[in-house]
Amino acid sequence: MSKLFPTQEIGSLKKPADMLKKVKDPNVSDEEKIKVRNDAAISNIKTLEDIGLDIVYDGEVRRVEMYEEPVRYVDGFEFAGRVRSWDNKYYNKARVVGPVAFKQNFHAEEFNFVKENSNRELKVPITGAYTLADWSYDEHYKSKDELVLALAKNVVRPLVKDLVGLGAKIIQIDEPAATTHPAEMDIFRESINESVKGIDAKFVVHACFSGNDYKALAPQMPEIKAQQYTLEFANRDTWKEGLDDDSRKGFNVLKLFKEHGFEGEIGIGVSDVHVNEIESPELIRDRILYAAKALGDPTKVYVNPDCGLRTRTREVSFDKIRSMVKGAELARKAIE
Amino acid sequence: MISSYTFGIYPRSEELIEATRKNTENLASLVQSETDGYITAQKNANLGFISDPLLKWDDIYRPFSNLASVNLSSLNRIYEMNTFYRILSFDGPNFINGDNVVQSNLDSSLPRNKTVAIPEPFTFAECHTSKEFKTKEDFTMNLAKMLRAEINSLVESGFEVIQLLAPSIAYNKEVDFGIVSDALKIITDGLNAKTILHTYFGDVSTKIESLLNLPVSGLGFDVTTTPTSSIEKHSFSDKILTVGIINSFNTAIEKPQECIKQIDEINAKTKPKESYVSNNFDLEYIPKEFAMNKISVLGEIARGAKDV
Repeated sequence: MSKLFPTQEIGSLKKPADMLKKVKDPNVSDEEKIKVRNDAAISNIKTLEDIGLDIVYDGEVRRVEMYEEPVRYVDGFEFAGRVRSWDNKYYNKARVVGPVAFKQNFHAEEFNFVKENSNRELKVPITGAYTLADWSYDEHYKSKDELVLALAKNVVRPLVKDLVGLGAKIIQIDEPAATTHPAEMDIFRESINESVKGIDAKFVVHACFSGNDYKALAPQMPEIKAQQYTLEFANRDTWKEGLDDDSRKGFNVLKLFKEHGFEGEIGIGVSDVHVNEIESPELIRDRILYAAKALGDPTKVYVNPDCGLRTRTREVSFDKIRSMVKGAELARKAIE
Repeated sequence: MISSYTFGIYPRSEELIEATRKNTENLASLVQSETDGYITAQKNANLGFISDPLLKWDDIYRPFSNLASVNLSSLNRIYEMNTFYRILSFDGPNFINGDNVVQSNLDSSLPRNKTVAIPEPFTFAECHTSKEFKTKEDFTMNLAKMLRAEINSLVESGFEVIQLLAPSIAYNKEVDFGIVSDALKIITDGLNAKTILHTYFGDVSTKIESLLNLPVSGLGFDVTTTPTSSIEKHSFSDKILTVGIINSFNTAIEKPQECIKQIDEINAKTKPKESYVSNNFDLEYIPKEFAMNKISVLGEIARGAKDV
């Protein structure tokens, strides 16, 4: 993208309450459910466009969530039941009971709809092979490596290929589990490389922060066939404006990426998705400018929230994105 | 036949999950009936010691949030799991004497042969924070004093085996065993109950010698992360050995005969003072249907293994 500091969506938004109510109502017809989902998707797309995001999607409004949605459509999985995430929050966890295989492009309808209803660049989020394996019980394959690679080759690669065939140009591979097992980064690297093998598109990898500050990821980054990483930084940064290392401590690790020879783009997380406070445009500006300096090239910096905003209200989410767009504009002015 | 027990939090049923999410009117009665069901399942499996399934507990540390000067803080990942706990902040000294927070959160209908799991002090200090104590060592020792007060009241009410959950000892590459030992002394000195230190979430092969020197009655190992070949290199002649043979992280049900053979081989080589089998960590990482099957298999393994 020729514009400096393009702004982009990164993950799911909280679903509108009225949509959820209708979708769960057995008395509402299938046609009506399709309509309310489509309306919600259009509402998300248009809101994000009106706010001024350069790269958009639909806030994943049709998906159950990032694990259950793809697993529903992949051969070899059976749902076992719900397992706790925290307190009384649970996710539906599946068992791998046979060879995993791609059945159909489960994001095709969604992608075609977003394509028809947006004139911006689109970034399609999909769940990566490593995370699908890590969040499942494996009763079939001999090792985790074997399951991860089977998912990469037989599920994610065909999905990506199909999406690209439909016109997708940017694919974001979501891998929140990637950095939770620092000792398994070799498997993670292979899973991404196998997932994208032979496919011509821009690949973005999204990995959450999980304790070791991406130190295990950094050495792998130049070897992974991804042009961009969208990562979390804001949630451990200070709220002080400024371009010094202390004020921008959440972003210090960017220097490490450069030291390890990574020359691609970073989608920097400038908004903390775990708090309701809205980051000021000036704070976001400074986070962007610090990142540009740390990477040594402002054209390598994309701007996004840390992660999906679905745990925040829609009002807070859109306010955060609005501030992010203003902050990017301030950063452009500062550079120019 | 050898002895057996389970430890940690059990999974809630789908019905109970929904009830906790919606805070339904029948929530309390549902918790009680599921608790009773799990206790019955353990009795039917002939487990040596019976534990409360801890269905009311949101994580293994949560009851301690009821102590004086303790505050709930942010969520944190449980090691490398896709599950999170609330960090507790110990912001004053008033928690040190305990307040019966564990016992008051346990089911009163447990039979005489009962056991309970308590976080070990080093792990506890690693997972939580304090504004009151400036050094990790000081924090650990004061947590140990609080845990001793809690354990004293548990032992007085008849708990025979206290499992001390020590995943940080397994997970952390570097462990100060001096601090671990000093804290455990506070807990075990003169205690009229068996204490078994459970390590999981990491391979402790290189730490077994240090573990054997700790002032506890026994050691428990997760054999999915610590190979049995490492355990077999050591003598357990003055320690209880608990083998965490039931994998709480996979729905595949263990084959009893294979497990019995494995336990017999470990015991033949390590010659433990007493031999127990258990799960490797909380059963809540698998749904209830699978947990129930695994409790039954655990009993079968214990009944089939040769006495030591």
